[in-house]
Amino acid sequence: MTAPATTVGPTPLAERRASRGLWSDAFRRLLRNKPAMFGVVCIVVFIGAAVFAPIIAPYGPLEGELANRLQPPSPEHIMGTDLQGRDQFSRILYGAQVSLQVGVIAVLMALVMGILIGALAGGIGGKVDAVLMRSTDVLLSIPGILLAIGIVAWLERGLWQLMLAIAVTYAPIFARLLRGSLLALRESDYVVAARSVGAGGNRVLTRHMMPNALTPLIVQATLVLATAIIDIAGLGFLGLGPPDPRTAEWGTMLTDARRFLQTAPWLVFFPGAAIVISAIGFNLLGDGLRESLDPRLKR
Amino acid sequence: MTGALPAPPRASAAAPDALLDVDDLVVRFRTHDGTIHAVNGISFQVARGERLGLVGESGCGKSVTNLAIMRLLPKPAGRIEGGSVLFDGQDLVRMDEADVREIRGRDIAMIFQDPMTSLNPVLTVEEQMTETIGAHRRLSKADARARAVDLLGMVGIPQPEKRLNSFPHQFSGGMRQRVMIAMALSLEPKLLIADEPTTALDVTIQAQVLELISRLTTETGTSLILITHDLGVVAGMTDRINVMYAGFIVETATTEDLFEAPSHPYTVGLLHSMPRVDEREGEPLIPIEGRPPDMRNAPTGCPFAPRCAWRLDVCWTANPPLAPLVPGTVVRVAGAGATHLTACHNPPTPAEAATGRPLRAGHRPARAPAGQVDELASLAAIADGVAPHGAS
Repeated sequence: MTAPATTVGPTPLAERRASRGLWSDAFRRLLRNKPAMFGVVCIVVFIGAAVFAPIIAPYGPLEGELANRLQPPSPEHIMGTDLQGRDQFSRILYGAQVSLQVGVIAVLMALVMGILIGALAGGIGGKVDAVLMRSTDVLLSIPGILLAIGIVAWLERGLWQLMLAIAVTYAPIFARLLRGSLLALRESDYVVAARSVGAGGNRVLTRHMMPNALTPLIVQATLVLATAIIDIAGLGFLGLGPPDPRTAEWGTMLTDARRFLQTAPWLVFFPGAAIVISAIGFNLLGDGLRESLDPRLKR
Repeated sequence: MTGALPAPPRASAAAPDALLDVDDLVVRFRTHDGTIHAVNGISFQVARGERLGLVGESGCGKSVTNLAIMRLLPKPAGRIEGGSVLFDGQDLVRMDEADVREIRGRDIAMIFQDPMTSLNPVLTVEEQMTETIGAHRRLSKADARARAVDLLGMVGIPQPEKRLNSFPHQFSGGMRQRVMIAMALSLEPKLLIADEPTTALDVTIQAQVLELISRLTTETGTSLILITHDLGVVAGMTDRINVMYAGFIVETATTEDLFEAPSHPYTVGLLHSMPRVDEREGEPLIPIEGRPPDMRNAPTGCPFAPRCAWRLDVCWTANPPLAPLVPGTVVRVAGAGATHLTACHNPPTPAEAATGRPLRAGHRPARAPAGQVDELASLAAIADGVAPHGAS
């Protein structure tokens, strides 16, 4: 333990930078990304609508008088009223609840399934890998929305069925992504270095590989959330949404309004805009995250 | 010099105190493009406390040799297909993965080429260092941390207490390599493998890092295998050098002998393609012509023949084994008195080694048989049989 003969390195600078972690660097880059920040605004509006719907909404989602049906936007009903005279603005706010809840839970379920499958496949390899990956290939070969329709049709309508359907549709994407990252990381210098000092297989997988493989998953999850919101609306539009047909759900609202496209276009415009804004929000944030978390763009 | 070839040296001539004894190691990679013959039956030893240099150009199998010793070849493509690696008397090739894991880090440690990528970016230096220590020794968190602070101080990192909490990206390249060295030496291994430890560093930092490795291994009596493509790096740091080409060891000698009397055309080529400050003015650099052979083909003759100005007809058909320059010499394979061995049918004479070209009157490189690549053909002068300067 001899003292170093020479001290090397600019210490003051090193100290100044010592407080900056990996994530705060990424966060800084994200804040500077204008499209991503616009996405965040969209998401805040969307989540705010869902969370504060009972406070903001001037009317209940189900209350309406037939006498007020199909009114164009006015100070009382800023987005007009629908076929049953319900206030469309209120229904869109409550609809955000369904989209947010189903979307987030479905994507979380997909993530859990995908991470389990991907970690097993990429971590163990060999036959386990082959079997799991061929299974996900089968799922991926079926068009996503068709698979979801099939699952909901098979399990009957319901919110949980809807979430499960969407989760099963997207789990293979996460599984493949994670497996790919793990395979690439397996030969990376620091994983070989970790093994060279005697770290065991499980430890290398959980401590060295998984944390580094998670960033693409976070990005992908954000992007999938956008697609999931569209899928929920799509399934709702096809009549496979929430079991109670009166529930305020954007896709179902579009179906109901379809026949009045020419006489009451606001009934189509506003739910459509809600879907687009929330989907774009998550898409822009996802792209921004990708840019700020991508290790190749660092320094 | 094409007389009878003496039998290659075998383990029977082994130094009794060998720490590492690699015998006839064969490593191949099975890829979609075919089988890569990465290491083709090499044998060498490292004595306790000895510092061995492994020199050769990229892709000659030097890194693969060491990954094979550590049993860290990329799976499933890379496989040890033959030979043995005795470490302290135990055969690493035939050992259980769990037992090898015990040896990694504790008895054999490794420093990698690129310090920028060999530390995990998401873990702090403390987490990575204490993990290494904790993998082999039961130490409390505080003790492991104290040890890590000691080690960082030892490798010359200022304010080790503070720096322990930093992430790798907050260190410069040289500092990261110091961290790698600290990690590698944290368990006082018997053998340290340094795989081009300075290639990715600034020239000004290179000397410091080499000096550090040299000092620490000498202090602890750790054996060292230093892999590099830079003969200048090994010159001052090693006791003995193996020169590798295309998965073969083509020449081995003590560092002094090798620089004084290089006797394989490839070694001569390496020495002459390296700029030197002490060279007389106007002394031209002589590059080694052509490219290394395609490792997908199993070599038939001498692997260096296509690029060799000294080659004879026999070089195209028979790969010479490692043999002493003077036939019949008693071979010692390790330690200070190690015998100078060369795998060459037609070794350059000292005068030729000094000039870097064949000087014998009338000598011309043997023509390539049909179907063989001749890397010298691009050199019009030699292909036409015009003798290079000096020959008359």
